[in-house]
Amino acid sequence: MLEKTGVPTPEQVDSIFPTEERLSQGPIAIIECFQPIPCDPCATSCPQGAIAPFMDINDLPIINNKKCNGCGICIMKCPGLAIIVLDMTYSETQALIRLPYEFSPLPQIGEIVLALDRSGAKVAEAEVIRVTKGKPPIISIAVDKALVKTLRNIRPQPSEAAILCRCSDLNTDDIREFIAQGHTTVDAIKRLSRLGMGPCQGRTCTPLIIRELATVLSKPVESFQPGTYRPVVKSIKLGELAEYTE
Amino acid sequence: MIYTDLLVVGAGPAGLSAAAAAGTQGLDVLVLERSHQPGGQLVKQTHMFFGSKEQYAAYRGFEIADFLLDMIKMPNVKLQLNATALAAYDDGIWTAQVGEKYIKVKPRAVVVAAGANERNILFPGNDLPGVYGAGAVQTLMNQYGVRPAKRVVMLGAGNIGLIVSYQLLQAGVEVAAVVEASPNIGGYLVHASKLRRMGVPILTSHTVKRADGNETLESVTTWAIDEKWQGIPSTEVIWSADTLCIAVGLSPLCELLWQAGCKMVFVPELGGYVPYRDGNMATSIEGIYAAGDAAGVEEASVAMVGGKLAGLSAARYLGVDIPDESILDCHKQLEALRSGPAGAKIRAGLGKLTH
Amino acid sequence: MRIEEHPILDFNRGKPITFTFDGQTVTSYENETVAVALHSAGIRILSRSQKQRPRGLYCAIGNCASCMMVVDGEANVKTCITLVQEGMEVKTQIGKGILA
Repeated sequence: MLEKTGVPTPEQVDSIFPTEERLSQGPIAIIECFQPIPCDPCATSCPQGAIAPFMDINDLPIINNKKCNGCGICIMKCPGLAIIVLDMTYSETQALIRLPYEFSPLPQIGEIVLALDRSGAKVAEAEVIRVTKGKPPIISIAVDKALVKTLRNIRPQPSEAAILCRCSDLNTDDIREFIAQGHTTVDAIKRLSRLGMGPCQGRTCTPLIIRELATVLSKPVESFQPGTYRPVVKSIKLGELAEYTE
Repeated sequence: MIYTDLLVVGAGPAGLSAAAAAGTQGLDVLVLERSHQPGGQLVKQTHMFFGSKEQYAAYRGFEIADFLLDMIKMPNVKLQLNATALAAYDDGIWTAQVGEKYIKVKPRAVVVAAGANERNILFPGNDLPGVYGAGAVQTLMNQYGVRPAKRVVMLGAGNIGLIVSYQLLQAGVEVAAVVEASPNIGGYLVHASKLRRMGVPILTSHTVKRADGNETLESVTTWAIDEKWQGIPSTEVIWSADTLCIAVGLSPLCELLWQAGCKMVFVPELGGYVPYRDGNMATSIEGIYAAGDAAGVEEASVAMVGGKLAGLSAARYLGVDIPDESILDCHKQLEALRSGPAGAKIRAGLGKLTH
Repeated sequence: MRIEEHPILDFNRGKPITFTFDGQTVTSYENETVAVALHSAGIRILSRSQKQRPRGLYCAIGNCASCMMVVDGEANVKTCITLVQEGMEVKTQIGKGILA
């Protein structure tokens, strides 16, 4: 019910998938283009001539499985981001999927991302093998061979960092980095990061940073003191100070 | 420069009680209150207070604020609103911002009753709009009559978490669940029962794993935790909610006391770092007293008695003859309020404070 | 989103006041703070952090500075403790406030 949901049916996906035999021979493009629309860059861009020239601009692409070598040029040319390249020969258990991904930030090589199905639901986790910067960028992910018909997109893992200092926008990752560098007092981290030096003057973050230090360094909470409370404890306009007269 | 006998920082239950006690003795008192409305957190308390007659039991918080304000109506007590204390200096000068004006005060004694700050905890998404301190939600609905949410998850089953959950129901807001990391409900059980009677689940040994939403809060994921307070995988529950209230306790607002050089002691039972003080609320620095949540987080009833005691002690320090019975009466009230099983934690904390 | 009927409390709102939020007119009452008025109009995103994260009201009593906005051209105004005034121009603050 692609027309109603925007998600191709399993039958539609089956209809465009290459044969087992062809898949066992190496990478190949798979084009999920089910609706005739006036568009032909896939056919005109293929260096192998593997996509038959269109008679009508509304033709659906037909891949010559023998000619296609899975180079992936068409991935970048397809305005509908409808093309992926699948390589079932990547390893014994895993296949490589190359897919277009137009979101920032791009994943890093080696990063474990969420692998999503055609409705955007999380199905598995996948390792990013290659990141080809371009327009659009192309991401290669290694996935379980059993899931190649299901997976069609990725998303970064949701952030696990929690905001520790709202004013200076520092999260637990930022703070742990300072601690790893050997800065183990509130004052030291304050001077380096501006934690506690924003408009709230440490009211929100002080108990949190003390606890974070205690947790990371496995020390009792009371072995840490808050940062030095310098005047003034609340922000005040310079003009108000300047206007003061005895 | 403003000269006064006693400077009181904060016009909440402790500060107003201190000002009333010292003012009644004829001292010149200046009370600085940062809000445009006096009464501190009393003004948003719609529930009837516990305690006994001396602490206005069975009256509601906002009514008690009015009683206290009546008690400081005397020519020698000045209540300055929109006035935030800014700093305490070595030479005994205290500064403040009054409206948009910077002022200096040279008091002969000070009672710091600055209250407390709501604590936050760390989880992904903890800064999303829709994640509030429980007190903020209380301010919105009880002080300003604004419905803060449609569906709330409350983190914390101490008295604040339980009371605010109930007040949310009264304001027509759905409370999806109250989540409490401890194995037991921390607040008064009568408050918990009021919620359960309304069908609100209370999940102990549970906490918030993360908060999610596009731009503003849309869902809260909670999970069970083990004895080591670590989350247990596959126990996650995702609650759809537009608001998450954090009621995980308060931290005393002690910046001014640190600045003044007061000896500070870490007492988790009282909310973290608190000023060392003797039985009469005197800190380690002569002439500086602490009361209310700034001296250790307790109930408002304790804040009122402690404030009165601090005011009397300051008056005595300034040379006024205060009969021992007045001081002893405060001690007796405090002892009664902290007696019983519900006061065990506070008593343990106070034990650590004095030595 | 204002509470009209409450079992315990009566809300005596003052006279109506209008101000603008990013150019859009918001109706409020005197003695309401800017953040409260915006909240009752369903506006929960008050500013963007230095890393562009959306920020809203958090403590509502002037402690946390999460509610800072640009008010009448002045940045870093804590809107949870600033009362609305007729014709006030309130804007979303992006990152650190800059001197006007």
